[in-house]
Amino acid sequence: MKYWLNLYRANLRVAIANMLQYRFTILIWAVWGFVGPLISLAVWSAASAARGGTIVNKTTGASFAAGDFAAYFLVYMIFGHLMMSWDAFEFASRVQNGGLSPALLKPVHPIHRDAASNIAFKLTTSAMLLPVWALLFVMLKPHITLNAFSLLAIPALVLGAMLRYVLQYTLALAAFWTTRVDAINQLYNTLDSFLAGRIAPISLMPAWIAGFALYSPFRAMGSFPVELALGRVPAEQILPGFALQSVWLCVAILLLRALWTAGIKQYSSVGA
Amino acid sequence: MVEAQIVLRGLEKVYRVHEREAGMGASIRSLFQRKYKDVRAVDNVSFSVDAGEIVGFLGPNGAGKTTTLKMLSGLLHPTGGETHVLGHVPWKRESAYLKNIGLVMGNRNQLTWDIPALDSFAVNQAVYDIPETAYRQTLNELIELLDLGNIIKKPVRNLSLGERMKCELAASLLHRPKVLFLDEPTLGVDVSMQGRIRQFVAEHNAKYGATILLTSHYMADVTALCKRIIVIHRGRLLYDGPIDTLSERIAPFKLVTVDVENEEAAAQVAQFGEVTEQDGLKVTLRLPRTETSAVVARLLQELPILDLTVADPPIEAVIEQVFQEAPKDEVLA
Repeated sequence: MKYWLNLYRANLRVAIANMLQYRFTILIWAVWGFVGPLISLAVWSAASAARGGTIVNKTTGASFAAGDFAAYFLVYMIFGHLMMSWDAFEFASRVQNGGLSPALLKPVHPIHRDAASNIAFKLTTSAMLLPVWALLFVMLKPHITLNAFSLLAIPALVLGAMLRYVLQYTLALAAFWTTRVDAINQLYNTLDSFLAGRIAPISLMPAWIAGFALYSPFRAMGSFPVELALGRVPAEQILPGFALQSVWLCVAILLLRALWTAGIKQYSSVGA
Repeated sequence: MVEAQIVLRGLEKVYRVHEREAGMGASIRSLFQRKYKDVRAVDNVSFSVDAGEIVGFLGPNGAGKTTTLKMLSGLLHPTGGETHVLGHVPWKRESAYLKNIGLVMGNRNQLTWDIPALDSFAVNQAVYDIPETAYRQTLNELIELLDLGNIIKKPVRNLSLGERMKCELAASLLHRPKVLFLDEPTLGVDVSMQGRIRQFVAEHNAKYGATILLTSHYMADVTALCKRIIVIHRGRLLYDGPIDTLSERIAPFKLVTVDVENEEAAAQVAQFGEVTEQDGLKVTLRLPRTETSAVVARLLQELPILDLTVADPPIEAVIEQVFQEAPKDEVLA
């Protein structure tokens, strides 16, 4: 345990130092993080205004007024930022130009170094974004109702971030077999936009999509922590929600391990 | 009794490469019908290296040196044969194995580009789980021996090639690997820095008894560090033995240089053997070892000679000759 703490501490220090060298890049990424939710928010605010202020899904009974949309997308903006991962992009180029080789000489899996830099990115950018988030909260007047379970959003957020990280890393491993990782990533992003409740709250979607989304890994690493924070998950669905997150995380880890072993074999037979 | 730390038995690596001619037509043809060729990068290579040895691993570009080193360090999976290093099978990449080896490649880097090398060293301390006291001690030694004092606190991208190489070397040695693979460690580095790195490698070997396998294009590296050399060419082992006897075994000839009195005599020298160099009245002959004394006696008798020297050919020339005369037919499958 002490070994892992030391390892992450050392990697975090380097990653933060490295991150601060690229202030402009951080800014771009950070802006990219809040443009999406703001656009969704603008669209839904307009839609709810056109419908007399509130949108109701008659089958689920879910209702969203302008302030509810603001709360949903603002919390999503922050949580989405904290759960974000971009490893597929970097990993593919490392496999293609041989940059992976030095990492393979080390006695630890390279995912730990990458995860540390993911955490470093979130720490640094969150500190920078805090005033922006605060300002948006003041300006957009979200209607936030917390309940007794809202605090559970924190463990859900941690599990969601881990799930998203491991799943993205697993997808990135496709680079061992194909040079077209972006195509796979494209598909992943499309599914993620809908099934993770990024574009619209899942409870407002048609029943068949919502039913699918509820059990997909996308909601587990997307809107689940957000809905939990805003008291929108019924009490009896909280435990199953966590169970689903844990099951998907286990599946993702097993998949990662299997693909990693096979991928390294492939990488080391064609020339590392 | 010293035990072998690196053992290769019939090691093979075959790459499958997609082959096509240049041009549009060939591109289209290759879309439907791909031609592949098997390239034998390493072909049935066997040798073993004992603990504490420094062995020079030589061969021209594309001989299979780097491929062999990559297989030994676990980066490449061999196509055939066996390897054991420190009792481990390298390609399994067990962490107990990786903790005890180091690979330095002149053209690859492990240091993070934008931050000082010292920060990357600290990550290695954590990765290899090096206790603080041992880390401090090794680090101070490396700083002193490699003269790193001023450079480890600058971002790596601001360092010169030689400075970076020294830092790379230090990063690979912090965990005091028992086996060290050095692939062109002095590539692109100036002569004085080359000397420094060489001296350092020798000291590291003497102090920690590390086993070192070294490739280099600079013969000076090899002659300064290695008593034993292994030569491979087109994937095959050509020579494995003491550096001193390479010329006897592989290039059994001597160089005889004569200063003659006049041009007529200079022209006649060619009748005694193969002229390799001529500079006015100074002519160098290449003679088979066994005939050298007889030919020298005849030269002295028959020509007006002012001065005569007999020498072993320089190691570079021997190696070059090895490569030129090696069989060419059986190389690519």
